[in-house]
Amino acid sequence: MTTGAPALPAPMPDVNVKGRGPMGLLLVAVPVFLVIWMVIWPIISAVVRTVWLEDETGAYGISLRSYAFFFSDRYSLDNLSLTLWTTGVTAALLLVVCLPIALYLRFARGPLPAYVQGLAIFPMFVPSIILSYAFIRVLGPNGMVDLILNAVGLPKIKSPYLTPWGPVIGLVWDNIPLTVLILLAGLGAVSNQSIEAARDVGAGPLRVFWHIILPRIGNSILVAISFAVLGIFSAFTLPYVLGPAAPEMMGPFMQRTFRDLYDPLNAITQAVVAFGFCLVFGLFYVRSVAKNRAP
Amino acid sequence: MKRRSFLAAAGSAAGLAMMPRMAFAEANRIDWFTSSDQNVMDFWTNVVKPKFEAANPGVTINLVDGGDNAGLQAIAERAVAALQTKTDPQADFFEGFDARQPVGAIEAGLWTDFSQAGLSNYSKLNPLGIDIPHNLPYRGSQVLLAYDTTKLSPEDAPKTWDDLVAWIKANPGQFIYNRPNKGGSGGNFVRRAIFQVNGNDPSKFEVGNYTPEKGEEMLAPAWALLNDLAPSLFEQGAYTSGNTQSIQLLSQSAVTMIPAWSDQALQAISQGVLPETTGLVQLTDLGLPGGFTRITLPTNAANHDLALKLADFILTEEIQSAVLTELGGFPGVSWDHVSAELREKFAAIVPTSIPVFPGGDWEKAINEGWYRSVAPNVDPNS
Repeated sequence: MTTGAPALPAPMPDVNVKGRGPMGLLLVAVPVFLVIWMVIWPIISAVVRTVWLEDETGAYGISLRSYAFFFSDRYSLDNLSLTLWTTGVTAALLLVVCLPIALYLRFARGPLPAYVQGLAIFPMFVPSIILSYAFIRVLGPNGMVDLILNAVGLPKIKSPYLTPWGPVIGLVWDNIPLTVLILLAGLGAVSNQSIEAARDVGAGPLRVFWHIILPRIGNSILVAISFAVLGIFSAFTLPYVLGPAAPEMMGPFMQRTFRDLYDPLNAITQAVVAFGFCLVFGLFYVRSVAKNRAP
Repeated sequence: MKRRSFLAAAGSAAGLAMMPRMAFAEANRIDWFTSSDQNVMDFWTNVVKPKFEAANPGVTINLVDGGDNAGLQAIAERAVAALQTKTDPQADFFEGFDARQPVGAIEAGLWTDFSQAGLSNYSKLNPLGIDIPHNLPYRGSQVLLAYDTTKLSPEDAPKTWDDLVAWIKANPGQFIYNRPNKGGSGGNFVRRAIFQVNGNDPSKFEVGNYTPEKGEEMLAPAWALLNDLAPSLFEQGAYTSGNTQSIQLLSQSAVTMIPAWSDQALQAISQGVLPETTGLVQLTDLGLPGGFTRITLPTNAANHDLALKLADFILTEEIQSAVLTELGGFPGVSWDHVSAELREKFAAIVPTSIPVFPGGDWEKAINEGWYRSVAPNVDPNS
């Protein structure tokens, strides 16, 4: 979050030192108020609504029964574990795909990298619903890939459509731009001199990557992964269109519980559970930002 | 003005601007909500809206996609609340809804009784479509089976449920239906299975007669029936997430047969999304459910008179013929009230009976039961 005090502009000459405190507070008041109103308050309200429940006698009291149901219900747990599996696999694949792209963009010379960068950023401009249908056309059964394979006499692929791999492939594609951009920003901190120095003493490309580049971009990797994970965990469209009917990811599961089963209590419980997991990754991000800010 | 007080004033003004605005229905604007698919939205956007607005200068129709039945249910509940507090529900017209929802809304006086509303075209309605006078049936469609005639000749196409089950099992991987809560084609296939295990008697199911015990007794055998089919479905039990995706799989020749809405299938064929070689067949022992799509009008709507005028307008021969030609549905009025030429051309889809399955608690029980009992057979590692 950028609502902290360092966002303040330089003090104006006519403002005396005593008046700066309230002035700064006033400037951050609107964003802080918005965050409290639209983010913090809904979280508190959701948690309260899932633990402050009416019992059989009609009296209200603290009860964890909706959480007990969630964590004892095989179906809900399957959905949660599918979500964690999808998030983990997608994040790992993202890193494998994006790190080489970012390294190429950072170190290559000439006109080609500009086109590669354009291509890497392109998914950002494709809405996920369009991506989903394109996916069915290309990777779906008898899709374009199958047609091409068939034309050269090869067997068809086993289509990932309607399996857990469908959303994984879609989400990796969808998250490439943000991850590449963050990694690229991190790679900007790696100076050419240090790499040249390492090369001069005889370090090969792998050694340069492992001992010079990786230590400097560890933080960016952490930030990129936390951003991707937050997005993937709450993904809706891609898992809904491309994934299996069951188990389903938390996004479609919450939506279905709320809209098709008219069951707000369990839907909010699912949301709070999902929030708990995202909080862990959010804390990673906050910690890394705080570490960078420290003098 | 001192800078600080200026900031305080500006801040509070900005805060006021950001407060949720009080919304009021606009005069002469019909706020219209639908639970139907995009093809119906297109029909209203391209056919009904321009014709009605041309016939009634100064009146506009605000077409809003309410998502699905649950979406309209939420808006209708808001209208009930508005009725109690005598405020504006900000909704004038519901397309694709059932006045039996929300429970008690008719008794509360929410829905307009069309038989008393003085519509000039009311007498033209097809008696098959009229169930309660608070629902105005204006177009019909029914789920049927769409199949690829290059792989299955029309003589061999299944005509009864038992034939269909035998065909699915004899041709593994060639049939898929969509999740019952995501588009009615799969939902009505599931409901047809429920009828099958309950003696093919639709009258056993009413909107108000659901109890958990009854649900268990009447639905569990259907889950067993569908689970038995699952290994023979596409990818040993995959389910698409909507009507459109099923049609896409049929068009990519990935499957041979799907349940599909008659209107969507006819439109897909006429637009070339499905090839000319697509065959359509209805089961003869008991058809797949379907029904007339109904209009409901809240009595407390701000533009109620205009909404009534619009309801009357869509029962005219002009619009009812367009339902056939543009939408591929069948008309809500009796067939005598569409042109003879169209009557001849569409004779094949004229229904004689349409089994109907109620919404409400049954719908919820089906959505929950299917996901827990039938869907998980998909092996996540396959």
